[in-house]
Amino acid sequence: MTAAQVPIRPDLFVEAEPPRVVGSRDSLTGQVFFPAETMNPVTMNEGTLERHEFDGAGRLVAWTVISRGMPGFDSPYALGTIALDAGPGFIGQLHDWQGKTLVPGMRVRLALARIKAEKDGTEVIGPKFVPIED
Amino acid sequence: MERVFVIGAGMTTFGPQPDVEVHELARRAVWEALGGCCVAPLQFKRLPSVAFAGHAYQGPCFAQKTLMKIGLQGMAMFNVENACASGSSAVIGAAAMIKAGEAEIAIALGAEKLTRPGGGFLPIVADDLESAMGRVMPSAFAMQAQLHMQRFGTTREQMARVAVKNRRNGALNPRCHFKEEVTVEQVLASPSIAEPLTRLSCCPVSDGAAAVILASESALKRLGLKAQVELLASSLVSGERTPFGIVDDKSEMSIRAAQMAYERAGLGPQDIDLCEMHDPFTIAELMHYEDLGFCAAGEGGSYIERGLSAIGGGGVAVSPSGGLMSKGHPLGATGVAQAAEMFWQLRGEAGARQVSGARIGLTHTVGGGVTKLEAGASAVMIFGRAA
Repeated sequence: MTAAQVPIRPDLFVEAEPPRVVGSRDSLTGQVFFPAETMNPVTMNEGTLERHEFDGAGRLVAWTVISRGMPGFDSPYALGTIALDAGPGFIGQLHDWQGKTLVPGMRVRLALARIKAEKDGTEVIGPKFVPIED
Repeated sequence: MERVFVIGAGMTTFGPQPDVEVHELARRAVWEALGGCCVAPLQFKRLPSVAFAGHAYQGPCFAQKTLMKIGLQGMAMFNVENACASGSSAVIGAAAMIKAGEAEIAIALGAEKLTRPGGGFLPIVADDLESAMGRVMPSAFAMQAQLHMQRFGTTREQMARVAVKNRRNGALNPRCHFKEEVTVEQVLASPSIAEPLTRLSCCPVSDGAAAVILASESALKRLGLKAQVELLASSLVSGERTPFGIVDDKSEMSIRAAQMAYERAGLGPQDIDLCEMHDPFTIAELMHYEDLGFCAAGEGGSYIERGLSAIGGGGVAVSPSGGLMSKGHPLGATGVAQAAEMFWQLRGEAGARQVSGARIGLTHTVGGGVTKLEAGASAVMIFGRAA
């Protein structure tokens, strides 16, 4: 990221090639959570979660295009409901989606890109999902 | 448990009210509700009493700031926030106090001022990650619509018919934000908000307030009032943790809330004459026909297409008030206004939108978008005309 960019949340993703997101993984059950949890909300056990980086790849379950977003968001923008291969689901923005034919079940890969811009022009960077056409 | 009766209802017109402060809106609704049942504020000092206020964005001590305007202070007051279900939660909380014998008479009020220059969506909840990513309410419902279309073949036209019906009902209700009818063609041709939802597929952003007065059986006797409308049962549930949050082709929490309320009332969906339903977006109403048991899963589109949910349509008359779609959706006021509509409908006082022979009515709200939860809360109340 540049000086004019900030992450949407601290320790939510890792800038690398390829990029990764940061969640948590239960050392006993193998369950993965994203975003990270402080305790396992399913088993209700504390102390079993560890930091877990993963690739953020998954499949597109549903999507929509927002014609006019909130201030700071580029319009139009697309949102997708993503079934991450690692297990969790997540609703996030699609990236590089224009001109592509979106279909249920299509593969997506992670990208780190602009979510929105603050009033002072600072770009807020976060995980987005790139649809992959066959 | 004590029985709970609704003895008064009040509601401001919903819509932009830039010149009226929100506590004054709420005061007007409470004053109308008290005037309708001829209960003086002084009675709340004489009887064990309580007040519950529902709102989402109006600041601390809302009930206190409102009720001191009519000389009521010193009594127990609760302020309730459950997003779009805040008002329903206030009614359910007030009723619970009466059921438990902690109060004999209660005010449940709700109010919200949401309009602001420039319009637009409700503010994003910055501490919710998916909201911060740009997930606004229309987008969640748009993806619900897409799943319902994929799974059941629901069409855009069927969804548009919800807006047409509710705007037709709303044209009969002088308290609605929107009072003009629309056609299917107009709904489909209006600007896209979140594909496949268009502007006329969405409820308006409104200001408004509503109030109901609740009483125990013994309070009715002391006040010299007849039992006319009874709150037969209520339920309030929160959302379960789900992978995709609110994005689903059904509302599991609404199914749970309805089943719980039906069981408590000893009734079923076949007994319901009318329903004030949570219809912030057209797809929601089609899904909730199914969730509340008015038709089978996947048949919501057919239910509206056959006209069953219209007033006098032969099925459950849904949102005869115009619903959120026409009336508006000032979050805290919404659930209380639904209870007020039940009060007027079950007393036969709903004027041109009256559901003929209405004896049993159900209200339903869903509130709050939270990452990983289906939603924050779902509330169902079942009201009956007292024998």
